[in-house]
Amino acid sequence: MKMFKYLKSLTLKELLKGMTVTGKYFFKRKFTIRYPEEKTPKSDRFRGLHALRRYENGEERCIACKLCEAVCPALAISIDSEQREDGTRRTTKYEIDLFKCIYCGFCEESCPVDSIVLTDIHEFHFETEGRNVLDKQQLLAIGDLREKEVAECRQNDSEYR
Amino acid sequence: MSDIKNYTINFGPQHPAAHGVLRLILEMDGEVIVHADPHVGLLHRGTEKLAESKPFNHSIGYMDRLDYVSMMCNEHGYVKSIEKLLNIEAPIRAQYIRTMFDEVTRILNHLMWIGTHGLDLGAMTLFLYAFREREYLMDCYEAVSGARMHAAYYRPGGVYRDLPDYMPKHAESKWTKGKALKQVNSWREGSLLDFLEHFTDYFPEKIAEYNTLLTDNRIWKQRTVNIGIVSPERALQLGFTGPMLRGSGIEWDLRKKQTYAAYDKLDFDIPVGVNGDSYDRYLVRMEEMVQSNKIIKQCVKWLKDNPGPVMLDDYKVAPPNREAMKNDMESMIHHFKLFTEGYTVPKGEAYAAVEAPKGEFGVYLVADDSNKPFRMKIRAPGFAHISAMNEMVKGSMLADVVSVIGTMDIVFGEIDR
Amino acid sequence: MNDSLEKKLKSHFGDLITSFVTQHGELTCEVAPENWQQVCQTLRDDAQFSFEQLIDLCGIDYLTFGESEWQTEGSTSTGFSRAINKNGPGRFSWEDRETELMDKRFAVVVHLLSIKHNMRLRLKCFTPDTGVLAVPSLIDVWSVADWFEREAFDLFGIIFVGHPDLRRILTDYGFVGHPFRKDFPLIGNVEVRYDEEKGRVVYEPVSIEPRVTIPKTVRKDARYAENQEQLEEDS
Repeated sequence: MKMFKYLKSLTLKELLKGMTVTGKYFFKRKFTIRYPEEKTPKSDRFRGLHALRRYENGEERCIACKLCEAVCPALAISIDSEQREDGTRRTTKYEIDLFKCIYCGFCEESCPVDSIVLTDIHEFHFETEGRNVLDKQQLLAIGDLREKEVAECRQNDSEYR
Repeated sequence: MSDIKNYTINFGPQHPAAHGVLRLILEMDGEVIVHADPHVGLLHRGTEKLAESKPFNHSIGYMDRLDYVSMMCNEHGYVKSIEKLLNIEAPIRAQYIRTMFDEVTRILNHLMWIGTHGLDLGAMTLFLYAFREREYLMDCYEAVSGARMHAAYYRPGGVYRDLPDYMPKHAESKWTKGKALKQVNSWREGSLLDFLEHFTDYFPEKIAEYNTLLTDNRIWKQRTVNIGIVSPERALQLGFTGPMLRGSGIEWDLRKKQTYAAYDKLDFDIPVGVNGDSYDRYLVRMEEMVQSNKIIKQCVKWLKDNPGPVMLDDYKVAPPNREAMKNDMESMIHHFKLFTEGYTVPKGEAYAAVEAPKGEFGVYLVADDSNKPFRMKIRAPGFAHISAMNEMVKGSMLADVVSVIGTMDIVFGEIDR
Repeated sequence: MNDSLEKKLKSHFGDLITSFVTQHGELTCEVAPENWQQVCQTLRDDAQFSFEQLIDLCGIDYLTFGESEWQTEGSTSTGFSRAINKNGPGRFSWEDRETELMDKRFAVVVHLLSIKHNMRLRLKCFTPDTGVLAVPSLIDVWSVADWFEREAFDLFGIIFVGHPDLRRILTDYGFVGHPFRKDFPLIGNVEVRYDEEKGRVVYEPVSIEPRVTIPKTVRKDARYAENQEQLEEDS
């Protein structure tokens, strides 16, 4: 019995079997993709960089109700608000610290006017200190840039929200 | 012979085989370990203290960051504990979704484990293969929650959103077009459940490949057989749970013994080891993946046939949907109330445990009628496992430490919390 | 299940266990520190209990239990008064912390599991109110208590008598204080940074502003029958 085991071991059978598995993949189509030219598909629910949206007439949606500030588990959002000349309440400061943010999406869930959203942008970086804090103008600009995609994703997913 | 003496070496905290930030102080006698003293806490973030300063729901996202390779299982433990305190139960469809994603998570975790454990012991290829399969499951995570890892998907009273009935598709590119594009998108034509069904059909043959690569492999066996042996008695004493306990031959699985979610309605088996060494625990985990695959298959079938609510219809705990919130004053008030104050939880204490991939993950909550937990204790399986480090490696060679760390399936997010 | 266990515990231990509470299907027993080791040993070895496993051991600090941070003291036609200067986690800095003395402040809680009988039990042991916060160590009963007790010592400062190696475990080398006590500020009291001139890591007083967006609110929810009784008792 032991003899048989030795002989079997000498044939390197199990090693060759393993080599067959790996060898097979040599001739297969590669599973990897050529990033950044190609990208993996992203779900409509994707939670990436934040943006503030506007209504179609260009008016900002945010009414400074501060729900997102309250619900943020990481205390990443800080808001100041004041009454505008036309009597509506608007934010004077809307800042998100991206180092604190944990991208949980609670702010979007809480927003009663669909103003703060998490877009599908996930490739971003900062080069200098302080750039990690997005202010209101930056957030609105991201919103303007991605409004079409954001609206489409929300529309596709609307029956689940 | 006076120049030969014991010496102490520092293993980690920056060591690829330490699986994170483990600092292990090893007292050596030549190549043999005399004493091992793990220093943990380098990733201590005070999750439990943080949770005491936040309303209950806010901490769900932090649960993902405990054991960051089995995210939804941690959430499950936490929401189960809250549900126990509130005396509520999620709708049946939500229970099935939780069961399914717990098992998706188990496969994710075990794939990560077999990949890194293999890599530590010299099987590089397997790491790449395991990550290929993980990619499919990550896509499922993303499709339901919007994040590939930190899902924040389970909520007290159910799950956040129902499963989507479409999957995102690969776009055409210079290299992927025509037939090739059709082929990469072939699973993605239907819903998430169709995608998962394709996966469950595909996965068993991949496990067979892993088995071909490892189970009989002489190098693998030399590195795992008779390494880190734990007797059943010691395994109980040392607080082992999950595959670590089952590897020692004790048939104990919370999914069967103290069943939760929809596990009592599903058919699956519990694999048990014999010798309690690294190799047995490897076999147990491999078989667990097969069983998880089987559970997912049954869940997919049930979920396809039984549509229904996935969230409790109780606005005191779960927010109303957006449609209602925008059109109905009362829903609006509930929405504001829930997202500012949250819900208050009646005075009392509860311990709820789930069978996480690494073992028993439990959350002990003490509530005092307020909207924040008074005390939260997370019972992380890895904490008990790594505390047995000294006993498991004492008397073995330095190279076996790597094998033992691997077999414990350690993740520092949950150990240090 | 719990009823029969409670009966067995009552008949076997008598006065050694001072209270029994069943809530959410879980039995909690209170044991005095002097009987702590003996009760645990019996629970492990006696065949009718055989709790082979210590699942969890942790400390609790009951300071500020049931106190809300947001007290609406009076309401007028303009709204509620919002007095939110109560101390809670994250609300105060190291300078204005106050260590309050109270009865039954610290407790050690263990969760036991019997694989043989498939049951769980929670034991609670309050530390003495005066003198050293000392509880006997369970390391001789369950080996796993080793690290759990080190953790409770580190975070709460509870001394486990008989533990051979009671060191800090989760916090930094040379850490001061016990961070999970309720009178330890959430923001901590020191922060570290690398000093280029000195060429080493230096400790400085913490510079973070404590910030709380949602205060802790106590509201006895009328939907729960248990609380209903509580409400009546209180009134």
